[in-house]
Amino acid sequence: MRERLENLKQEALIKAVAAGTPEELLDIRHQYLGKKGAITLVLKELGRLEPEERRQTGMLANEVKDAIALALTAREEALIDEGSSIQGEIDLTLPGIKPASGALHPITQMCYDLNDAFLSLGFGVYQEDEITSERYAFDNLNFPPDHPARDTMDTYWLKGFEEYEGARRLCLRPHLTGGSVRYLKKHGAPARFVYPGPCYRNENTDARHERAFFQYEALIVERDFAFASGQILIRTILEKVFGRKVDTRMRAGFFPFVEPGFEIDMKCLVCGGEGCKVCKHVGWIEVMPGGTPHPNVLKAAGLDPEIWSGFYINIGLDRLVMMRYGVDDVRLFRGADLRFLGQFR
Amino acid sequence: MKVSLNWIRRYVDLPEGLSTDQLAHDLTMRTVEVEDAVNPAEGLSGVVLGAITDISPHPQADMLRVCLVDVGQEAPATIVCGGSNIYVGMKAAVAVPGAQVRWHGEGEPVTIKTTKLRGIKSEGMICAAGELDLQDLFPAEDDHEVMDLKDFEGRPGDAIGPMLGLDDIILEIDSKSLTNRPDLWGHYGIARELSAIYGQPLKPLPDFKKPAGLPEYPVEIENPKRCQRYAGLVYEGISSAPSPWWLKLALWKTGVRPINALVDLTNFVMLDVGQPTHGFDKGNVKEKIVVRNARPGESLTLLDGHELKLTEEDLMICDAAEPIALAGVMGGSKDSILPETTEMILEIANFEPIGIRRSASRFQIRTESAIRNEKSLDTQRVDQAMAVADALIRELFPQARLTAFTDNYPAKTQGPVITVKLDWLVTRLGRSLSAAEAASILGPLGFDVKHEDDALQVAVPSWRATGDVDLPDDVLEEIARMIGYNNFAFIPPKVLLTGAVRQPDVLLARRLREYLALEAGLQEVYTYPWVDRRYLEAAGILPGSCLALATPPSPDTAWLRPSLIPAMLETTVHNLRYYESFRVFECAQVFTPGATHPSEKAETLPLQRRFLATAFVGQDPPLLFRQLKGVLEALPRAVMAQPLAFEQKEKPAWADPKAWLNILSGDKVIGSFGVISLKAARLSGIKRAQVAVMELNVEGLMPLPSRGNIYHRLPLFPLVEQDFSVLLDEKILWQDVSEALEGSVKSLDFIEEYRGKQIPGGKKSVMFRVRFGSDTGTMTAEQIDEKMNNIIRKINKLGGEVRN
Repeated sequence: MRERLENLKQEALIKAVAAGTPEELLDIRHQYLGKKGAITLVLKELGRLEPEERRQTGMLANEVKDAIALALTAREEALIDEGSSIQGEIDLTLPGIKPASGALHPITQMCYDLNDAFLSLGFGVYQEDEITSERYAFDNLNFPPDHPARDTMDTYWLKGFEEYEGARRLCLRPHLTGGSVRYLKKHGAPARFVYPGPCYRNENTDARHERAFFQYEALIVERDFAFASGQILIRTILEKVFGRKVDTRMRAGFFPFVEPGFEIDMKCLVCGGEGCKVCKHVGWIEVMPGGTPHPNVLKAAGLDPEIWSGFYINIGLDRLVMMRYGVDDVRLFRGADLRFLGQFR
Repeated sequence: MKVSLNWIRRYVDLPEGLSTDQLAHDLTMRTVEVEDAVNPAEGLSGVVLGAITDISPHPQADMLRVCLVDVGQEAPATIVCGGSNIYVGMKAAVAVPGAQVRWHGEGEPVTIKTTKLRGIKSEGMICAAGELDLQDLFPAEDDHEVMDLKDFEGRPGDAIGPMLGLDDIILEIDSKSLTNRPDLWGHYGIARELSAIYGQPLKPLPDFKKPAGLPEYPVEIENPKRCQRYAGLVYEGISSAPSPWWLKLALWKTGVRPINALVDLTNFVMLDVGQPTHGFDKGNVKEKIVVRNARPGESLTLLDGHELKLTEEDLMICDAAEPIALAGVMGGSKDSILPETTEMILEIANFEPIGIRRSASRFQIRTESAIRNEKSLDTQRVDQAMAVADALIRELFPQARLTAFTDNYPAKTQGPVITVKLDWLVTRLGRSLSAAEAASILGPLGFDVKHEDDALQVAVPSWRATGDVDLPDDVLEEIARMIGYNNFAFIPPKVLLTGAVRQPDVLLARRLREYLALEAGLQEVYTYPWVDRRYLEAAGILPGSCLALATPPSPDTAWLRPSLIPAMLETTVHNLRYYESFRVFECAQVFTPGATHPSEKAETLPLQRRFLATAFVGQDPPLLFRQLKGVLEALPRAVMAQPLAFEQKEKPAWADPKAWLNILSGDKVIGSFGVISLKAARLSGIKRAQVAVMELNVEGLMPLPSRGNIYHRLPLFPLVEQDFSVLLDEKILWQDVSEALEGSVKSLDFIEEYRGKQIPGGKKSVMFRVRFGSDTGTMTAEQIDEKMNNIIRKINKLGGEVRN
């Protein structure tokens, strides 16, 4: 009988460990420990045994019973731990639930990236009003009256002011540079500041041309500033925008408000300067103009050009953002189309 | 502007082995931007001289013939041709298979292949001038004429590009980069730059001595301010014959159409030294030349047939009777060079640039002459032009005679002498520089440099003295560009550190945008500052009250925005095509009539303020209102500004009569928000959507010096949390409930309100949650009951009834 008990124990333990579901465990429990279970049946036969034999077999039977119960419970707990809180199936390929988020306009993003870089160099941020006068748009900036250079910036003049000139003739600013004189007049020199913002020109629009566009200008004015130091501004902008060191070159360029004036080219990032379609096989791409403020501009700002000099750079953010993302139509920036703007998060 | 290197070589020998790329690079880095460099002969690769040896009719087509053409191969090529002027023995331009031609002179170039034309194989094409873009050099009498090369030396198979003398390099120079350099609008000026860049001598222009003993042709200058020099040279023994090939070619390659020898020579002089000239038929000029302003009522018919109604501002070239040319811009049709001209008055004159520019823009005429004259030329250039013109006339017409001559010269361009301190130069260049070095750089450009003590005395040549170079800084630029801007090492700037950048308003504007976009889930948009009348009116704004543009982008968008609400409405309408619910914002300047003086008293600008506007678009107006209100309530803490309050004070024109509030900072109204009125929706065309908008003046937000957070000690004893559902009269506001319970609970949160079947009319069910507790110990059951009863009494006092 004891041998039977040992065999039943082995048999039950093997089954318990192999059980894969709580239902199977319940079956095993009934099969061995239930009212008509195998162990129960053995216990019922105990009465037929000699007292000593009965006592010892009874002890063994209880041990076997406990061992089986323990194994079944252990297996049950293990099965629960291995289980899942998911009822039924879950499709792991369903898209996640995104946080409800809007976004800054891609030009604002670029502008803030640049602001951060310039703030780290101790530059201030200045915002000029968008309606200005002929004096600040042209006269102060060394554009002689009726000079052809004024033609290059077709200006939106305000109605009702056409007959005036200078400080009384109003327009939407055609560029940012006029703001530099306002800032310097107010804050004096030395000065380091950026002044981003929209500018407006009366042009025909197409995928490459827009009437309203966003410029970013930076100016540093210091005592006896050598123009070769101006490269700090160029590097700051380009490395921020492209995230790596960019080779640049300065070449002759004419803008009335600078002397000397430069066109600044960067080495084409597509071909690395070898020449490709993007850079029209030149290896360089024109990115921004720059230069030393013309003495007449410093004078207009109330500064002595004998003492002060500096460096300007001016970059079109629309074009930079177009280059950064491959946007092919500049008009999208002011179209307020969420299908477009929602792509820049 | 187009520059021919063959032409340049008349005046300077370029270094041997200099590549076109290198030359374009050097000129771009130091002087002007070279946009392109092309060899005109290369455009004709695959086009060869062919001799027609046989012509027979085409069996299938009356208009075509079948030619045998010797193109330098062993066997003649069979070519089907429709040319009206072909003959046996003709030397023709033949495009062999692989060459590119412009089919019938139109459209994009196509590649020639061997092909069957109406059943006959054709191994190439006999070209008309237009098909090779050569129509200006080979004008055709009729459309079916092909080019006849009988006047050119060559053997069959020779490439016609080099044969015609087209081998050259044409630089395309960005005209914008030349605006300030009137001296570079002719080949001699570019040659001078190249001579300075490469250290090669600049060859002199021909010499011209004023002939003695010639009669004077009468030239009267009535307005010497506008005409500082007028030379008139009268030639006889000339004619309007075609120019020699070299002259035609020189003009054609630089983009000017050859006309006849007299017109061509004036153009040549202009392209050579940058000085415009004009020829008059002497027979038609009555008595004399008078330079004067137009008189009232005068008019002039131009060479191109346009009739100008002149103003008294226009400077005219006149004869004894009437205007014969618009000075410096364009000649009149009656008196300029005519086919029968045999005697010519050649005008070489200097005009005041502003007047030229005003006349040219008044009549919208942009001639090569006006483009140069408006850039301010020196009077000395007239001498150069006379020399070049006289030499050329003698070359073209050996029998020509100068019969009269006048040089009326009221004022000479004076080149300034600029004092440039050497130590200033060294500091600003950031590089050492000796006086000798400076002189060797400036000398080849025409500057005369003397070294006195510690300064340079730099005499500016007349051609750089018309507004281009007059300051030490201009001299610095000349030196720096010739050294090459790229040859200066970067010098880290030395700056004065005066303090941290503290700009609370800049910071606030940025926090505002970032809060709305990144926390409140709004999309930022940019719109135009000019607004459409439709959306202005929808926002309840009278266009007449707005600032306007003189020449707006379109008649409907003439007004400058005084508010961002029209832009919000327009943005909503556009995006409703693709989305049914969304949130947007814009932060931008708005403009209203007024008077501000940001920089000086003399300058009066209108009122310009920075506004922020949002639009919430969806289906449920009260929900949109509350969502927008929630964004506003959280805004002050997010952007570190003084708190905002909401009250009805002044109803905005665009708002729904029920759902609107003003936004107050302190006791000042700084904006409004609300659901848009049904009228605003109808006028802007918003259908099947509900919209709540907000607009506030960003400058009315008061930035806090630091964050406005307040610390509360954590509760020591547990709080009791209880939800109440109470039945209230519709007239009782949430504000009444919150004021009633203020002070008796630790926190009060609105959960929801409900109107429905179980709720009697005129009533609403409001659900809220309170938390209360004691600071001295855990509350007992009695204390909790007492607190609950207290709350219930307060609700009852409002006429309310607690439902749970």
